[in-house]
Amino acid sequence: MSAAEEKFSVETESVLKVYGQGELEVRALDGLSLTVRPGEFTAICGPSGSGKTTLLNLMGALDKPTSGRVRVDGRDLGELGRRQLSHMRRDRIGFVFQAYNLIPVLTAYENAEMVLRLQGVEEGERRDRVMAVLADVGLSGLEDRRPDQLSGGQQQRVAIARAIASNPAVVLADEPTANVDSDTADRLLEIMEKLNRERGETFIFSTHDPRVLERARRVVRIVDGQIDDDQTRS
Amino acid sequence: MARDETKLGAMAWRNLWRNRRRTLITLSSIGFGTMLAIIMTAVQDAQWRDMIDMAARLGGGHVTLQHDEFLDTPTLSRSILDTPSLRAAALEDPNVVRVVERITGYLMLSTAGHSYGAGFIAYDPEQENVETLSILDAVKEGELLKDAHEPRILIGSQLAQNLKARLGKKMVFTLTDKNAEIISETVRLGGIIHTGAPTIDGSLVLLPIGLLRGSIAYAPGEAVQLGLFLEDQRQAPAVAERLGGRVGPGVAAIPWYDTQADLATFIAMKIAGAYFFEAVMGLLIAAGIFNTIFVSVMERIREFGVLLAIGFSPRRLFSLVMLESFWLGVVGMIFAVLLAAWPYYYLATTGVDMSAMIGDGSSEVAGVAIAPVLRASLYPEKFVYISLAVVGATLLAGLYPAWKAGRIEPVESIRLV
Repeated sequence: MSAAEEKFSVETESVLKVYGQGELEVRALDGLSLTVRPGEFTAICGPSGSGKTTLLNLMGALDKPTSGRVRVDGRDLGELGRRQLSHMRRDRIGFVFQAYNLIPVLTAYENAEMVLRLQGVEEGERRDRVMAVLADVGLSGLEDRRPDQLSGGQQQRVAIARAIASNPAVVLADEPTANVDSDTADRLLEIMEKLNRERGETFIFSTHDPRVLERARRVVRIVDGQIDDDQTRS
Repeated sequence: MARDETKLGAMAWRNLWRNRRRTLITLSSIGFGTMLAIIMTAVQDAQWRDMIDMAARLGGGHVTLQHDEFLDTPTLSRSILDTPSLRAAALEDPNVVRVVERITGYLMLSTAGHSYGAGFIAYDPEQENVETLSILDAVKEGELLKDAHEPRILIGSQLAQNLKARLGKKMVFTLTDKNAEIISETVRLGGIIHTGAPTIDGSLVLLPIGLLRGSIAYAPGEAVQLGLFLEDQRQAPAVAERLGGRVGPGVAAIPWYDTQADLATFIAMKIAGAYFFEAVMGLLIAAGIFNTIFVSVMERIREFGVLLAIGFSPRRLFSLVMLESFWLGVVGMIFAVLLAAWPYYYLATTGVDMSAMIGDGSSEVAGVAIAPVLRASLYPEKFVYISLAVVGATLLAGLYPAWKAGRIEPVESIRLV
């Protein structure tokens, strides 16, 4: 496959993101270009305010760049309307948030199956897939518990299950280990590594956590909205 | 109905109980407000229905068959003939339960030393009872008329007092007959009516119709009006319209609100006032619901951002919030029914005697005596209207918060994460 034909999970091209105007103008991202291939386990790091979260928001179709292009699974997000962006998030992107952000009135099972429901996946298949991902993240037997009946680590595992249940092109994880103790963080990272290894899920982390940086096979460092360093480990 | 693939209904239901106390307070306000609306409407419905029935029993029934010029020129020369045929025609209508013939007008009543003007109703004792002529229940002295030809009359207590008349005393009534001749008839006082309503007690005379017919040159079967009594007074316009085309030329079928215009105006004003009051109450309820839904939306901005991030569409978020409003309305309505059940049952079966508050006997509105007992009777369709109004108000109150939820920008709310 030639480079021109290669399909990336996520691709940003000369992305500029400016907040504010005039003297208050802040360039959160300043002409940043980055490609993430399917199956990568990538960490994006950098000091606070460097643009990590802005980059994740753009990759997640939650925000639009001031200029430049963002492609997810080969589709240019700038060409999509509000409804199509919503479908893109539903079908091709998985999110894992720092604060878990499960729907409190739904059980672990219902949270994990929500995206599949939105996609209209038939009930039998939905059940098989959800039970499988819950087993993958080590939550078998806890399907009927609501978030307030689960520990922080368990909640984050439900969030991971929710993110991967629909086989997205990429899972975007914003500081996924920030709110859990180190043992739990290790366990979560093991789970995500396993999912990456065995299911080929693409993960992109925004993180300060050295444990994540140690395990990531690619580390992209951003400073002042630009890529300062991009290292891939073999 | 489309399947709820995203369990929106269940999510909305569970969301409702996330802040149990707030939801219960809101439900209480919906419940109490709606209960008041139900009871108030039921009491008013019963009151209006009783007043209309009372007016019908004192006047010409729910629908009156009379000479087509009598309403404008109420003289004895404007009579209807062949009442037996008209009665038979009226009774063919399924809504008509009774038909009575009457002669009404004004006369001068005199004793040896006094004379007073009064209104009269001449009726057939064999056709009528308290179901058609309510004041027969208010004969406190003497006896009811037994025969359409007996030379006895019944008069109001105040009129009797004014005339200084006692039971059995001879009296003379004078009036202008059908041919504009002045005639007089001697009768005896057979009974005294006391209703507590000044107009009735002070100026009403009941006469036997057969006796009066002979006096005023009416033929057998001739009368001023036929009073039609219906199963449900709300059918009056329809019955009047149906009969209007069948009773022949020169006879008009007129619903009670045309023959009792004062009463109809009074009731219409009261109903308008009640609707206004209920609308204000509805607005207060809606404001409470709006507050609950709006606050709950603002509290969940972050959560909505997450829902948008995982693929919820703005329209689905809008629907979620609207469903929460819908549940509030439905549960609030159930609350209201439970709250209203006992008071309604008590008012419908026993009623509250208000005579201690409004004095002896009954009071009078637009010349119609009303019983001093508060009762309730809600028409089924009114209950449906109230239910729809409550659910409609909750949906209306949810519109803006739902719109707000649908307009959330995911990145703004996710930034709060």
